[in-house]
Amino acid sequence: MRGIVVTGASAVTPLGRDLAATRAALAEGLSGVAPVDAEPSSAERPERSPAARIVSFTTEPELPKMKARRLDRASQYAVVAAKQALADARYAMAGREERTGILLGTGSAGAGPLVEFERQMALEGPDAASPFLFPYTVSNAPASVAAIELQIRGPNVTITQKDPAALNALLYARLMLERGRADALLVGASDEWNLDYHLAYERIHATRSRKRAGFVLGEGAACLLVEDEDAARARGAVFRARVASVVMRPAAVSPQVRRADPERLAAAIRAALDEAGVEPAAVGLVHLSRNGVPETDEAEARALEQIFPRLPRTAAVKEALGENPCAGATQMALAVAELSERPETGAVLVNAFGAGGNFLSAVFSRP
Amino acid sequence: MRERVADRGLAPPVTDRRVVVTGLGAVSSLGNDAKTTWEGLVAGRSGIGPITLFDASAFRTKLAAEVKSLPDPGVSPAVRRRLSRTDVIGLAAAAEALADSGLDLQRENPERIGVVLGAGVSGLLDSERYFRTLLAEGPRAARPTLVRNHPPDQTTDRIAERWGLLGPRSTITTACSSSATSLGYAADLIRYGLCDVVVAGGADTLARLTHGGFNALRATDPDPCRPFDRERKGMTVGEAAGILVFEDEERARRRGARIRVRFLGYGVTCDAHHMTQPEPGGEAGARTIRACLRDAGLNPEHVDYVNAHATATPQNDPAETAALKRALGGRAKEIPVSAVKSMLGHCLCSAGAIEAVATVLTIATGVVPPTIRYEHPDPECDLDVVPNVAREVRVRAALSNSFAFGGNSTVVAFGAA
Repeated sequence: MRGIVVTGASAVTPLGRDLAATRAALAEGLSGVAPVDAEPSSAERPERSPAARIVSFTTEPELPKMKARRLDRASQYAVVAAKQALADARYAMAGREERTGILLGTGSAGAGPLVEFERQMALEGPDAASPFLFPYTVSNAPASVAAIELQIRGPNVTITQKDPAALNALLYARLMLERGRADALLVGASDEWNLDYHLAYERIHATRSRKRAGFVLGEGAACLLVEDEDAARARGAVFRARVASVVMRPAAVSPQVRRADPERLAAAIRAALDEAGVEPAAVGLVHLSRNGVPETDEAEARALEQIFPRLPRTAAVKEALGENPCAGATQMALAVAELSERPETGAVLVNAFGAGGNFLSAVFSRP
Repeated sequence: MRERVADRGLAPPVTDRRVVVTGLGAVSSLGNDAKTTWEGLVAGRSGIGPITLFDASAFRTKLAAEVKSLPDPGVSPAVRRRLSRTDVIGLAAAAEALADSGLDLQRENPERIGVVLGAGVSGLLDSERYFRTLLAEGPRAARPTLVRNHPPDQTTDRIAERWGLLGPRSTITTACSSSATSLGYAADLIRYGLCDVVVAGGADTLARLTHGGFNALRATDPDPCRPFDRERKGMTVGEAAGILVFEDEERARRRGARIRVRFLGYGVTCDAHHMTQPEPGGEAGARTIRACLRDAGLNPEHVDYVNAHATATPQNDPAETAALKRALGGRAKEIPVSAVKSMLGHCLCSAGAIEAVATVLTIATGVVPPTIRYEHPDPECDLDVVPNVAREVRVRAALSNSFAFGGNSTVVAFGAA
C-alpha cells in the first residue's frame, strides 16, 4: 500500500470556529451542549432535548458574508473547515486543482433548506418555492460548494453512514489515493442542526432528555487534508500524522438499532490495530465513540477491556460536541493535532460505532 | 496538470483482482424486475404517466415515471410497516440480483460481502407528510415517527440486515451521480481485496421535494421528456432501483457463475463551476470520461456504445454532446449514444444504477435501447441517438454517464466478459 499522510486538519465546532479554539475549550472542560428553547412551549415538550449548536457564527475571514448569505449552514461550515485545513497544510491549489478532491460525510446537510422548501410548497404553493433554495437541499451541497469556492476539480463524493460517515470517507479516500485518482483529498464531514428535525427526534425519544439517556445532536464541520506520501514529500509538506488504518466491521441489524455486541466492536478495533501494525500498548489515546447511548457506550467499554490490558488515555468529546458525522471528523482532526504536537503519543485510535450496526475504527500514527 | 496526469498514468493496483457482474435486479416504471424493464426499453415503451403519489395539480409538470405497483420486499409484515417506498424497491431489486447471481448465501462468508448504494430521497415522502401535517395542524397532529426513514442509508442497512451481510457498507449521496459513484466504490472494495462480492447500485423514489425542486428551476418538461430533441424542454422525474452483484472475477469463474459483463473502471470529478448549471463547453464532462477511460484501460476506439446522461434539459444535452466529442474525438459520432431517460425518466440518485443495468444488458444481448420521442434533430446534439427504435449492435465496451448538481460527474465503463 502507498503511504498516506495527513498534512492539515481543521474543525468548526460548537466550542470554537477552528481546531485550536476547540482544543483549548475541550482542555478547559467546556461543553457546547445547551438547552433548546423553542416553540412549541415547554408544556408540549416534556422531553426537552438539549443540543450542541454553533451560535453567532461568522464565515469571515474564510468566506465573505455576501457569498455566505445564499448558502445553507452545512455548506458554510464546510467551506470554512476546508479552507482552514488547506491553510494548515500550506497547500497551494493553483496548478493542483484536478489532482485534488473532497470526500465529506454528512447526516443532516440540507435539512434547513429542505424544511424551508417544503414550507414554501405547502403554504405558498409550488410556484412560490424558491429555485435558489433547492440545490442546497441535497446533502452533497457542502462538498460541491467547497469545490466551487476552492476550485477542487478532482473526485467529489458525499457519504452518509449514520455517525461514522467521516471514517467511511477516509476509507474511500484511501482507496482513491491507492488507485492514483488524486494526490490530495480533503476528508471530513459537515452537518447542520435543524429545529424541526430536533423536535421530531425528541418526540420519538431518539435523543437525550430530562427523562432518558441518549445522544445529543451536534453540528459543525471538520476536515483533514490526506495526501499520497510521495506527492506530499515532493511539495515539501510537513507531515502531521499518518493514516495507519481504517476498517469497517458492520453488524446486520435494523437501521435504528443502537444495540452493539462487544465482540463485534472488538473485532473492528482489533482489525484496525492489525492493519496499522500497532500493538495495543503503543496506543497513547483513544477517541471514544461514546455519545451517551447506554447500549453502545457499554459495549465499547467491554470491547476496549478485551483489547487493552491497561486502558490508554481516553477522550469522549461527543459529551461536549454532540453527535453527528461532523463529530467523528472532529475526532480525527483532534487525533491529528495530538500526534502533530505530541508525537510521543504514538498512535491514536478513533472509534465510530453508529446505529444500524455501522461500526468503524481508524488508527492514526505519528508521521 | 493534465499532462502530468497522463504521464504518470495509474498506480499499479496492489492486486490484479478484476470485477465482474454476476447478478442483476431492477424495479422501474417499466416493470418490477430486470427482464420486464429491459423488454420495455428494447420495445421503446415509456414508463411516464400522471403522478399518483401526491397531488401534482398545482405543479407545472404533472408527469413522472412512477413504479406502478410496489413489489413484495420479502419481509415480515412487522418489518414491512417500517419500510419506506425506497426500501421496498431496493430490497426487491436486491433479492432479484442475489438470486440471479446464483450465490448460495448459506455457504458464503458474510464478512466478505459488502453493500454500496447511491441514495437520496429515501423516506422523504413520509417525512413530507410529517412536515405538511405539522404546518397545517400543529405538532400534536403530526406523527414524528414518519421522519425515521429519512436518512439516505436506511436502504443499505436494510439490505445488509435482510441477508446478514457483514462486509463494508456505504451510501453515496451526490444527487444524480450517486449510484454511478457507488458502483465505483464497490469495484474498488473488490479490487483492493476488502470484499469478494458487493451488492451495488441504488434506489430512489419520487417525492414532492425533488419533483417540486426541478419544477421551481423550470428544469422539467410539462410533457414527457425528449432527450436530444431540438424541442426538448426539460426532464421528467422518475423512480427506480437498480442492483448489480459485483464479484471478484477469479472467484466467480471458480464457482462457475454466469458472468454477464466486466466492470472495467470509472472516473469521478467535479467541474467546480455552478450548483445547477453544467460547464457549457463540455470540457468538465470530457475530463470525467477521460478519467474513466484511463481507469478502465480503454481507448476511444474501444467504446462501442454510450448510455448518455441526457436529462433532456436545454443545457445538459449539448454540453454532454460536446463532452463526448472532446473525449472520444471522431468516435463520438460513429457510435450509438442513447437516452433511456426518455422511457424511465430521470431516476435521480438511482439513475446511474438503473442505467448501468441497461448498459450491462446492452453488452450482454447486443441490443442498444432507443431514445424515444425523438423527432427534431438538434445540430447541437448531432450524435447517433438511436432514434425511436432499438438496434442490434455488437458492443465490446460501453460507457454510462452521470452528471449531477454541484458539478459531480461520474462515468462508468463496462465490457464484454
